[in-house]
Amino acid sequence: MADAHTKNHDYHIVDPSPWPFVGSVSAFVMAVGAVMWMKAMLIGGIKAGPVVFGAGLIGVLYTMAAWWSDVTREAERGGYHTRVVQISHRYGMIMFIASEVMFFVAWFWAYFDASLFAGEAKQFIRAEFTGGSWPPKGIEVFDPWHLPLLNTLILLTSGTTVTWAHHALLHDDREGLKWGLILTCVLGAIFSVVQVYEYQHAAFGFKGHIYGATFFMATGFHGFHVFVGTIFLIVCLARALKGHFTPKQHLGFEFAAWYWHFVDVVWLFLFVAIYLWGSHWGAAAAAGH
Amino acid sequence: MAHAATAHEAHHDHPTGWRRWVLSTNHKDIGTMYLIFGIVAGLIGGALSIAMRLELQEPGLQYFTNPQTYNVFVTGHGLIMVFFVVMPALIGGFGNWFVPIMIGAPDMAFPRMNNVSFWLLPAAFGLLLISMFVEGAPGSTGFGGGWTVYPPLSTSGHPGPALDFGILALHIAGASSILGAINFITTILNMRAPGMTIHRMPLFAWAMLVTAFLLLLSLPVLAGAITMLLTDRNFGTTFFDPAGGGDPVLYQHLFWFFGHPEVYIMILPAFGIVSHIISTFSKKPVFGYLGMAYAMVAIGAVGFVVWAHHMYTAGLSLKTQQYFVFATMVIAVPTGVKIFSWIATMWGGSMRFTSPMIWAIGFIFLFTVGGVTGVVLANAGIDRQLHNTYYVVAHFHYVLSLGAVFAIFAAWYYWFPKITGYVFSEFLAKLHFWIAFIGANVLFFPMHFSGLAGMPRHYVDYPDAFAGWNRISSIGSYIFAFGLLVFFYGCWQAFSRKQAAGENPWGAGATTLEWTLSSPPPYHQFETLPRITGSEH
Amino acid sequence: MNRFWSRAALAALALGLAAPASAGTGQPSPWQMNLQNPVTEVAARTGALHDGVLWIITAITLFVLALLVYVVVRFNEKANPVPSKTTHHTGLEIAWTGIPILILVFIAIPSFSLLRYQIDAPKPDITVKAIGKQWYWTYEYPADQGGGFGFDSLMLSREDAQKANQPALLAVDNELVLPAGKTILVQVVGGDVIHNFAVPSFGVRIDAIPGRLNQTWFKTDKEGMYYGQCSRLCGANHAFMPIAIRIVSPERYAAWLVEAKKKFASNADDSVKVASLSRVD
Ligand code: HEA
Ligand code: HEA
Ligand code: CUA
Ligand SMILES: [Cu+2]
Repeated sequence: MADAHTKNHDYHIVDPSPWPFVGSVSAFVMAVGAVMWMKAMLIGGIKAGPVVFGAGLIGVLYTMAAWWSDVTREAERGGYHTRVVQISHRYGMIMFIASEVMFFVAWFWAYFDASLFAGEAKQFIRAEFTGGSWPPKGIEVFDPWHLPLLNTLILLTSGTTVTWAHHALLHDDREGLKWGLILTCVLGAIFSVVQVYEYQHAAFGFKGHIYGATFFMATGFHGFHVFVGTIFLIVCLARALKGHFTPKQHLGFEFAAWYWHFVDVVWLFLFVAIYLWGSHWGAAAAAGH
Repeated sequence: MAHAATAHEAHHDHPTGWRRWVLSTNHKDIGTMYLIFGIVAGLIGGALSIAMRLELQEPGLQYFTNPQTYNVFVTGHGLIMVFFVVMPALIGGFGNWFVPIMIGAPDMAFPRMNNVSFWLLPAAFGLLLISMFVEGAPGSTGFGGGWTVYPPLSTSGHPGPALDFGILALHIAGASSILGAINFITTILNMRAPGMTIHRMPLFAWAMLVTAFLLLLSLPVLAGAITMLLTDRNFGTTFFDPAGGGDPVLYQHLFWFFGHPEVYIMILPAFGIVSHIISTFSKKPVFGYLGMAYAMVAIGAVGFVVWAHHMYTAGLSLKTQQYFVFATMVIAVPTGVKIFSWIATMWGGSMRFTSPMIWAIGFIFLFTVGGVTGVVLANAGIDRQLHNTYYVVAHFHYVLSLGAVFAIFAAWYYWFPKITGYVFSEFLAKLHFWIAFIGANVLFFPMHFSGLAGMPRHYVDYPDAFAGWNRISSIGSYIFAFGLLVFFYGCWQAFSRKQAAGENPWGAGATTLEWTLSSPPPYHQFETLPRITGSEH
Repeated sequence: MNRFWSRAALAALALGLAAPASAGTGQPSPWQMNLQNPVTEVAARTGALHDGVLWIITAITLFVLALLVYVVVRFNEKANPVPSKTTHHTGLEIAWTGIPILILVFIAIPSFSLLRYQIDAPKPDITVKAIGKQWYWTYEYPADQGGGFGFDSLMLSREDAQKANQPALLAVDNELVLPAGKTILVQVVGGDVIHNFAVPSFGVRIDAIPGRLNQTWFKTDKEGMYYGQCSRLCGANHAFMPIAIRIVSPERYAAWLVEAKKKFASNADDSVKVASLSRVD
């Protein structure tokens, strides 16, 4: 039998790592910089905010890069990611996505608070401001069947391409994996471009109006998640090209795919609630209030 | 079966000096750092509260010539106690130390992430402290709008950067807790030793599992809410500004959707701890184990649908208020199951009144006092008279300062020998208990009276009629604080006496896995996983 | 009768401190231990429910305490050296789940009817508007009810309050004057941040939120001064924006209206009117 100091289980006892500490210090610096920036605070007469923020951000990004390279190294060499460790990783990713879902719940809550109660008599200032309807008076909303529909189709297609990549990987078809991922990344990028284009043509602003606030923050956070998801997929592509992933073990890829589907589903809710219901159906519903 | 590739890993470096702590991936070391952090933050949060009690000892303005500074102290006190004392001590500290051990795991599922959960906390705390020293409301420093941070006082009322620091502090503390929650859930679901089915798992692990789910699902909503505050403050959105079609009450919903689960986040780990202590020193298994476990699940689940009982005076409709009255009262039922099961655990037992035991028994009684006043407040009709009075302050200090904090000290005295390997003076621990018990009751019980008589919270000064009970309260707070001196003296004495505790100082009743290990446990426990047979409850 | 018992219970609760804790009317009194004396039906009913629930929770707490004392005495190491191994008792478990449910239902029934009584305001005789501002209250009397003016109500300094022979931190320069025996509806809004309009002897407490028209109501036959305090943290002087209501006879009220209209003429403003709401629930 093993002596007391030999590891006799399949868990991953991780080596000491500088990244948690470095990352936390960077987060602190970034937060200080963010406030300095937002409040235009001066250090010795200069607006140091953006610089401090930038330094912190670089630290955070560096931490992420370094930390996750450690993880991929542990996955690819070392053999640390045993079956049971992989199950842990799956749990971890599912929980992370669950928390993200709850984050979006907050934005949807704000949106429904505004849209369902736009004309609540008791909220007299709001009712006057919105004209008691949703979309509020004077707001020209996007036609849901135009760019939003296009973007819906793009995202749905990207959901199928990432599944294609997954199947290819499972059948050890590296070409299919590569092209599936490339297509998904490209579709993700197109989505983002279309979204930016749409933002530029919005007939309503971000400031001073609850419509803009709920619209841009909800779709904006979604957009940010698309951006992060695309980077995640690009990393997977790069790893695939380096020969990472096997048909049996490719958690990094799976997580990117899960994340991508999550982003996809959030979009469907946004599309239905904000673009569709919030334009036509919404106006009708508010009129019946 | 060890993989060939990982066999050498067992000899990886066992860091020493600063590297051991700063770069730590060891759940016990990280737990220790959390505990120390909690004590330091507890001193700061406690000091703020003593300053408040000094001011309130008499009517008139004594120390806070600028009343806003008092508000800043109250806010800081609330936030520090909640986010930087109770949560780090119970979850990060004792949770980290004992969840892996109790379920027979060698460490947490994600040891490196565990460390970032910890190190984000000093970062967040630093931001909160900075917040107290930069401008908030015009002409004063710090944010003085209460730990609930209601707009518009937190948007238009505090133009300075103080609250922006505060918001980011909460973001970072929240991220820390979410990562911690993911870690606990994964560890508990996936790393139980062979034979330890979920229904054989010790109740502390159950408590942490439920707590972690509450954290995971409630904190992101708070993150959303305070992000809206941040954009309202700095980027011109109008989520909470009616002049732009927003709604200040929306914030209250979002906050309390987090805030109410948060109060159970602070008490469920305490429930777990108390179960262990009561069982150990009654030399009896926990009574009604499954009921105990599922009562916590029920408390956690129902805890998500009662939030608006904090908003009875916001102008909610009759039906809405009725629903929240009903839902809130439901929680008393599973909580009662816990209280009565603890008593039933002692019933027929062979009780030893060690220091952890008397702290735990004190907890049961004081928590009951705090719990039943919660039931009074749950009735919207009665809350109409009590909302934002000292009655509420009394209620929540009974469940927090006398509930959660008593459980922290119970846990401290229970596990101190295991964590440090040294014996803590029973005499001092009991002396601490009696001082704290008397002090805390003198401090908080009269607040029920001032509250019923109508004294509002967040008041730096009050009509003379309230002077009597306030003076008593203040005296109680000095007694309570004096107890802390005994606590620290006891710690110092234990470390200097170095009297070895041995594997299990508590005898036959202590059956969970931590008592099978040396004190302190080996750097990596369970290199060979324990095998659990039979049911242990 | 009820009052006697609730006092007795409180006295017992005070663990022998039993100070002569008579409650104040319209304001707190020293060492007071229970709610201020009610002068409206709402406050009376609220107090009665509170006292009833206080009885129940006192009994529950004492019961838990008694059980704790019993096990400590009966099942300590000396008295009971060999612990039992019992960990289940279905009957008991059902009892301690079921009985609390019954108790809660028993509380909920009167609680719901009280709530309905508080919230469903009867048709008002007089409507006034209270606007919370940092850090004072503005009261408006609508023109269609003989008013058409508004005024600010600021706290008196300790010295001035003493001179006026009124309680410090509760007394104000301009009181809200209203008649006895009439149903009064108060519409409450926030002018800048959230405040809270609370008058304990009336059993009234409602947030004054910017942009949101809340309302509360009261009706009392007892003339006199009734004080309340802002009950929502609203900034530096949150402790210093009391509410003072003087209830007078309808005749004196009519006279006061005439006087006040002159006194506050400069504040007269056509815009002072009460928002009309089809239904506020
Ligand atoms: C650890 C923290 C904690 C815990 C556990 C609780 C537990 C409960 N709380 Fe408390 N509460 C707070 C922390 C906590 N609370 C805080 C911090 C605030 C103020 C926030 C702020 O505004 O700043 C607050 C405020 C608060 C309010 C709002 C008051 C107001 O602002 O006007 C209400 C109203 O319903 C409430 C209710 C309850 C109830 C019903 C419980 C129940 O869970 C209690 C259940 C327990 C028991 C009932 C005792 C044991 C049971 C029995 C012995 C069985 C038999 C009993 C019966 C049949 C009654 N709490
Ligand atoms: C856990 C939470 C907690 C704790 C322990 C306390 C402890 C104390 N609190 Fe309170 N308090 C709050 C949470 C807490 N508080 C909250 C949330 C508010 C509302 C804030 C708001 O409205 O914004 C509040 C508000 C509040 C008020 C109302 C102020 C007002 O509205 O004007 C007062 C007034 O007396 C007060 C006093 C005290 C006192 C004298 C103590 C004393 O008990 C303190 C004595 C110090 C200690 C007991 C230190 C404890 C040390 C530890 C816990 C560390 C131990 C760690 C290990 C062993 C690992 N607190
Ligand atoms: Cu106005 Cu508090
Ligand atoms: Cu609550």
